Amino acid sequence: MNIATTLSTPHQAVYDPNSQEFSVAGVIRPRSVDEIAPSLSALRQAIEVARGVLYINVKRLVQMNNTAFHAFSRVILDACRSRSDIRFVVVTSSVVGWTERMFRHLSRIEPQVTVEVYDSKFYPGQSFVEDTSFIPILRTQTKMTWRHERAILPRHGMRPGIHMADICCGIGDFAVLVRKEFQPARIVALDHSRASLAYARNVAADFGIVDIEYSYGDASEMLLEDDQFDLVTCRHSLQIFNQPHVLLKELYRICKPGGRVYITNEKNSHCLGEPRSQSIQWTYNEVAKLFSHFEMDVELGPKSRRFLADAGFEDIRVESFMVTNLDGDPQDFADIITAWENVYAGEMAVKRGDPPEFIERFRQGFRDHIFAALHPKGYAGWPIWAASGRKPL
Amino acid sequence: MHAAAAEPAFEPLIRLEMEMETFLSDWQHCDYLSSFLARMISHNRTDPVRHANFFSSALNELLEVSFRGGSSGGRIGCTVYRQGELERVKLSFPCPPGQHDFYREAVSKTRKGDAYARYLDAVSTALAPTREIVLLDLAINFEAEISLEEEASSSITLVVDLPLGGIVS
Ligand SMILES: C[S@@+](CC[C@H](N)C(=O)[O-])C[C@H]1O[C@@H](n2cnc3c(N)ncnc32)[C@H](O)[C@@H]1O
Repeated sequence: MNIATTLSTPHQAVYDPNSQEFSVAGVIRPRSVDEIAPSLSALRQAIEVARGVLYINVKRLVQMNNTAFHAFSRVILDACRSRSDIRFVVVTSSVVGWTERMFRHLSRIEPQVTVEVYDSKFYPGQSFVEDTSFIPILRTQTKMTWRHERAILPRHGMRPGIHMADICCGIGDFAVLVRKEFQPARIVALDHSRASLAYARNVAADFGIVDIEYSYGDASEMLLEDDQFDLVTCRHSLQIFNQPHVLLKELYRICKPGGRVYITNEKNSHCLGEPRSQSIQWTYNEVAKLFSHFEMDVELGPKSRRFLADAGFEDIRVESFMVTNLDGDPQDFADIITAWENVYAGEMAVKRGDPPEFIERFRQGFRDHIFAALHPKGYAGWPIWAASGRKPL
Repeated sequence: MHAAAAEPAFEPLIRLEMEMETFLSDWQHCDYLSSFLARMISHNRTDPVRHANFFSSALNELLEVSFRGGSSGGRIGCTVYRQGELERVKLSFPCPPGQHDFYREAVSKTRKGDAYARYLDAVSTALAPTREIVLLDLAINFEAEISLEEEASSSITLVVDLPLGGIVS
């Protein structure tokens, strides 16, 4: 037996009795069934102890050949025949299209098997951040942060000729700006919003850009292979995941050893303005609470150092910058705040069930922030933390 | 026979060739080659990452068919062509002359009306998929159109059209 075959058993099969979930992940392309015998018997054991519904999670299954598919199917179908008390729910991902196509046949054969396509409803805050009403905000935001980031990025590993990935790329304008300014050799830009990606592809097409690889995917379980990129960027997004460390682990995985992962995050309660500072401060404190209600931590910025360290990065660099009404046109700053007011007060607070008096006061802080931004002697700021770490060699 | 001019233009994207003996020396070659070729041809598709994943899935099955059914004298060759949303894989590999009938039959079964029923039956009862079932899988799950080119008696060429452009997005 050569080393390549012994080393490459890159799949995992685990059973979690608490959720009655059997998960198969990775690449499963055995030559014969014997090679995956341990995983098959793990599934048999899971079936033995499970009561009611057993979830078969194949969301992170990257590849599976017919040999493996038939073998796993065999175990599931046999169980359906011998145990009328058990049901199977196969959870597939909308990203890996062929898994749903293959597994749905099982439900044709045995009605005890159902197939569910995992989608956005599984993330607490997902529906807000994937909403198309975010598109105009993202555009103006990137325009304003870019003024700072173009100077910051070279300190975090950005340089011409690199291979980079922008994860949670939104509408893709950061990738377009980076491409123009720094000329990387390869850019992959991934997001989980089909609407944002469609927008990104249209913009790219309008500018005749063909070399940005826009991809639909789930940042917490990407199809991208390990150790591929010199720089992985993930902007304003760690803070919207209920489990930022899971996302960071994926960013780490696709980064080359010696490469860097660059993240930007906010601390919303530190948004500020003069005049009317108190009303502004009250509202942004409430923004932080509102997001945490939906399991998102928009106070994450200053925690970047800890998150990067806990994820195993070294040579961690953290800096902060303040986007203000004095960067270019104050109206741009005001537009961002208007968009925040619309989504945070108009949608999220309503969804949380806040009373009208609260929403009115909440809105007032945004309006005061706009007032400060447009005031001839006013000052309005939005602080952001940019941090990066190197993946050890 | 149709006039040759009626064939739409397929643009060749990549060709790979190796000694069959080398190919057969390690099962992992199927995985490596399908992943590599998939990545090479997908970069300018709308969603390169997912296209590569889908394509690799289909190509790996074809390579596994040639691994299981091929014989060691001669070379294996794989060419990928593109025409619009379609990718065509031409896979040639040496195989014993007696196998031609088997492939002819297996390929023709992918076009029959009972293809889906046969596929379900195999998933439902068989212990392991035969090469015939693998071809059915490609026809059903990847909407592949499969045909054969028989030029020499000592080798076989599978021609597989995969409309992945449409399926991925
Ligand atoms: C706050 S936006 C930031 C977008 C962009 N980086 C920017 O700075 O403009 C967060 C983005 O994360 C995306 N997103 C949310 N959940 C995701 C997931 N599971 N996988 C990939 N992207 C996701 C959303 O669609 C949205 O575009």
